[in-house]
Amino acid sequence: MAEISEAPDSDSSKLFGSDSKAPQRPDSEPEFDPKLMRKTKPGLKRLFLTFSVLFSFLLGFPFLWKSVEIYRSPLPFREIDSLSTQLRSDTLLFPLHFHALFVGFDSDPDRLRWSILSEITKLTSQNPKCSDNYTLSVTVDLGSRCLRGRTSSPHSSSYQCGSVTGGDFVQNDDVAVDERLASVFGGKNNEYSMAVVKGVSERAVVGKYRHAWMVVGDGSDVEMAVVKVAEVLIKVFINGGREEGLIRNEFMPVGADGKIVLSFNLLNADPHDWVYDWDFEKIDDTLLTPMIEALGPVANISVESQVLYHTPKASFSYWNQKLESYVFSTKDLPFFVNSNEWHLDTSIAAGGRSKILQFAVYVPSAKECPLLLQLPNGEISKTNGFISPDLENMFEVFIGQFRQLFGFKSLNVYTGASGDWNLLPSERGFTEWELDVLSRQHTCFNLHSCATTLGSLSRLVQSLPRMIIKDEIGKQVKLSLEAAKLALSNASSGVYESSAASSSQARSLAEDAFFHPSIMSVSYYSFEHCFAVYSPFFLPVSMHVVLAALRELRRYKQEKAKYLAWKAKANTAT
Amino acid sequence: MVLLQRPHILLLLIGTHQFLQCWIAFGSVNEEGQKQEEFSEELLLKTLPDHKLLAHFHFQSSAPPSTSNGCHHHLFPKAISQLVQKFRIKEMELSFTQGRWNYESWGGFDPKSSSNAKPAGVELWAVFDVPQHHIDASWKNLTHTLSGLFCASINFLESTATYSTPEWSFPPASGNVRYGTLPCEAVCTENLSPWLKLLPCRDKAGIALLLDRPSLYRGFYHSQQLHLTSTGSSSEGIDSGIILEQTLTVVLQPNSEMAIEVHASEKHIQPSWSLSSIFGKQVSGRCVLAKSSSVYLLLDRGLSAANGLTSENFWSNPSFELSANPDRIFLEESSSHSKSLSILYMFQVEKYCESEPFDIGLMWKVPLAWFCQQTPLHASSANSKDGSCELRVDVFQVVPWYVKVYFHSLRVFVDQQPRAVSDIIEKIHVSPSKDKCLLGFLRIDEYPPDANQGFDIPSAIISFPNFHASMVFLEDDSLNKSPLLSKFQEKCPVMPYTEVLLVPLTTPDFSMPYNVITITCTVFALYFGSLLNVLQRRVAEEERFLKAKAAKKTGRLPLLLSKLSAKLRGRRLEPLHSPPSSSSFINSKLVLKVILVAGLAVGWQYFFS
Repeated sequence: MAEISEAPDSDSSKLFGSDSKAPQRPDSEPEFDPKLMRKTKPGLKRLFLTFSVLFSFLLGFPFLWKSVEIYRSPLPFREIDSLSTQLRSDTLLFPLHFHALFVGFDSDPDRLRWSILSEITKLTSQNPKCSDNYTLSVTVDLGSRCLRGRTSSPHSSSYQCGSVTGGDFVQNDDVAVDERLASVFGGKNNEYSMAVVKGVSERAVVGKYRHAWMVVGDGSDVEMAVVKVAEVLIKVFINGGREEGLIRNEFMPVGADGKIVLSFNLLNADPHDWVYDWDFEKIDDTLLTPMIEALGPVANISVESQVLYHTPKASFSYWNQKLESYVFSTKDLPFFVNSNEWHLDTSIAAGGRSKILQFAVYVPSAKECPLLLQLPNGEISKTNGFISPDLENMFEVFIGQFRQLFGFKSLNVYTGASGDWNLLPSERGFTEWELDVLSRQHTCFNLHSCATTLGSLSRLVQSLPRMIIKDEIGKQVKLSLEAAKLALSNASSGVYESSAASSSQARSLAEDAFFHPSIMSVSYYSFEHCFAVYSPFFLPVSMHVVLAALRELRRYKQEKAKYLAWKAKANTAT
Repeated sequence: MVLLQRPHILLLLIGTHQFLQCWIAFGSVNEEGQKQEEFSEELLLKTLPDHKLLAHFHFQSSAPPSTSNGCHHHLFPKAISQLVQKFRIKEMELSFTQGRWNYESWGGFDPKSSSNAKPAGVELWAVFDVPQHHIDASWKNLTHTLSGLFCASINFLESTATYSTPEWSFPPASGNVRYGTLPCEAVCTENLSPWLKLLPCRDKAGIALLLDRPSLYRGFYHSQQLHLTSTGSSSEGIDSGIILEQTLTVVLQPNSEMAIEVHASEKHIQPSWSLSSIFGKQVSGRCVLAKSSSVYLLLDRGLSAANGLTSENFWSNPSFELSANPDRIFLEESSSHSKSLSILYMFQVEKYCESEPFDIGLMWKVPLAWFCQQTPLHASSANSKDGSCELRVDVFQVVPWYVKVYFHSLRVFVDQQPRAVSDIIEKIHVSPSKDKCLLGFLRIDEYPPDANQGFDIPSAIISFPNFHASMVFLEDDSLNKSPLLSKFQEKCPVMPYTEVLLVPLTTPDFSMPYNVITITCTVFALYFGSLLNVLQRRVAEEERFLKAKAAKKTGRLPLLLSKLSAKLRGRRLEPLHSPPSSSSFINSKLVLKVILVAGLAVGWQYFFS
């Protein structure tokens, strides 16, 4: 009460002036109403204080935001998107060049070229992902001079007229002919040659390099030859002689890091009866190493072997009286593998994403011997069961099975719509044109899978804004994109081997980035966590501060209006 | 962890008509004169003084140095060879142990106990052939690989609190060694199966057939070890040869039923046993892949002395009877200071087959008492040459960084007399933890699972560098040396282990961080709020407002309050200007409030009862 009398003109004293004092005032200013007016300016002290608190509070927010920020390495989202759209919109085109050589035919090369092209377009099936951009040149060799098509590309000009004659094909030795043609055509990287010769013994052979030849009878017409030429170019050289739908086109038994581990196991079912061993070092050197080197651009292959003992099979075989042997049916094969007793072991030496192919040779025990494998049609398999263990023979079957995994047949005959073709096998397991097919397919598959992986990674990263992304991931993504670009440019210029290598590098880097342990961990710092930690402080405090600021502001406005009202009255009074 | 892809399995079958053909492929290995991979299996049996039986299985596989990068194997386990290749291991020992080795009655100073008595849990040490700065990374990768290989949580050894670099006082000490233990790791059959997988015959044939899981894990002590040594350096292009020793030591209680039947009156007689009564199984022939397959029965020096057996009369054994005749008998090379000799009976398993399985039994005829050789903890002047009584003892212990060890409180007793530490101890070396400072705070992820149980401090290794345990048996060199006997002849260091210490450390409530955050934030919020309130408060104005309010309407409570405040301020209560508007004694609002509070209280009671 003392303050009231001592400070009659303080900002608050006017609001609730006591009834006893109010009647005294009107002496000097008769119109003064303490509820609506005040004489002094409203004070700014408290308003300033609350607002400074509010501002410092707001100023603190960016600092807090910075301090709880998590590290995210910038990822090139736009480049990832552009890579996948590039792969999706314009299909990857591999440039190929076909060269058809007709020896002893007297036809117009341009007309031949046109008819071959029309046959080719009939045969080509559109692969939605990757296709080939082929050019065709036709040469008709008349011995003394050559007729070249007007639209022939510079590739075909390297052919010397008269270097292939009908006499070369008289002999029946296909391998010699193959070598002869290889020296004539030269092994250009993406150029496939096809020679059609008139001769006595009709034959059609695909060599182990990048060419094929056909000897047709004297009387046969060119049109028939044209159909066969078109078929071999498309079905064999481009599609690898595979039948559609037999095995998924994209399937490659290559791990995500571009590695394959071939693990060979010799399983002695019962060592009490007999113990087999093998000299794998020798086999590795003589049989497997050439194949592994040939497949180098497609996959990085390592070989290991072991011998296991006491490994009975998990399923029974039945005694067949007629065959005088135990017969195991193919349909039971899934139950053949005894995972309890066969410790085939995933390899420690292999990385986490390598593909391990286990090859098992099962030596049956004495009481289930001889053991034969019965195919579904009732016949006995010739390749998957041996009597007399000949190692060479066995490993040829291995290589055949390995080829099968890559989608190639082990038969040396390709049966097309227009006739049969002999396929010359290579001692390396894979012929050059097959390796080309693999490289193309591998590049295509790798690039698409790299784009998909990077796309999922970018979607994942964008959908989780509070996920920590380490620098390493950013680097891997960058390198992967670079490798993918290199692979694309190499593929379009026709350098298959290096494009396959860099595409597999791109894919493995993309997988590395996607499966990086820091992404896999669940302990990322979620927004809910952040909210739960800071809300007990910020919610009540911010409420207090904001409400106080609002109240002060409102009060200041009110008081100012009062003061202005008094001032206006005072002005009118004077 | 590792993304396993389903391996593709392709099959080939080989059928054989004739037995002869099978050696065609086999013979080609021999032609080159290369050393072949070898495997041998042995079992040592020994009766212990406290009526128990020790069975020590010893399997040894060796791979000679080869040029094929160690990719192709015939007998040697592929996984181990790849492990050695990948991590460049020079030597490694991994042991899984359950139970405690009784040094008092089972002995501590013979080659067996000094190399096979291990601390409980998992112990791993490895010597690497890699540059110093790569060792820790190799160690971590190795622990992860081993934990996958043996189905155990060996990967916990990667945390720096569990392993260390012994610089001295650990026998294979060099800069490249890492040593770590997990005392609380439980060992069971899931660890034994992968261990058996490394044997070519696994437990399908040979001596390993005896490894019957229920009888093994019923024992008093069970220690399964894997020791590998790679010979030669791998830097010379030729790949190093590897020797892998797998040992399993079990201490079992033979069923004493047989003894009771025969000598029901005599309680002190040793229980008679046979392989089939201990393990419940018999050996039906050797593992065909083993170079040698033999079972040994060892009579201790103490036992043979108690038996009265000397080098002359060891063929006649008056106190016990063996169910099978030994093929050979080895005598220990006589040493100068003890008259009695250990005797080793050898049985070859090769002779036995499925129709006539091997089963050795031992029947005691007279009660005997003897003692095993103790650790050289008792040193007397007789032991030393120059008369001064000196015994060098090295103690090595890994203590996690969160346990503080005060060396000023170290006390040393010699002959139960306290001695000054400086007189006895020559050297103390403490290598402090490198990546943790002694703050005393453990992070939440550094607590072990079930932290309330306590923290296990690994056992200390006590080693006697001047003592080596070895047992040399007289044998003619023409015979192929058995790996087990040659192991006995090696001078192995005597290394008893102390017991594991369980330290009950205070464990926090693991949900505490959130509670702490919440309460701290609430306190801060309260402080801020009230500070702001005080800052913007207008005391005078409020008082006037209150008074005006009181003037309008004065209930009983406000009146009391104003009276009280007046009293507190020491002033006379000002007379009220207006009479109370409501004269009713019980205000309706007040009644509502009281009912509300009562209802809340009742609800609270009801809810929590």
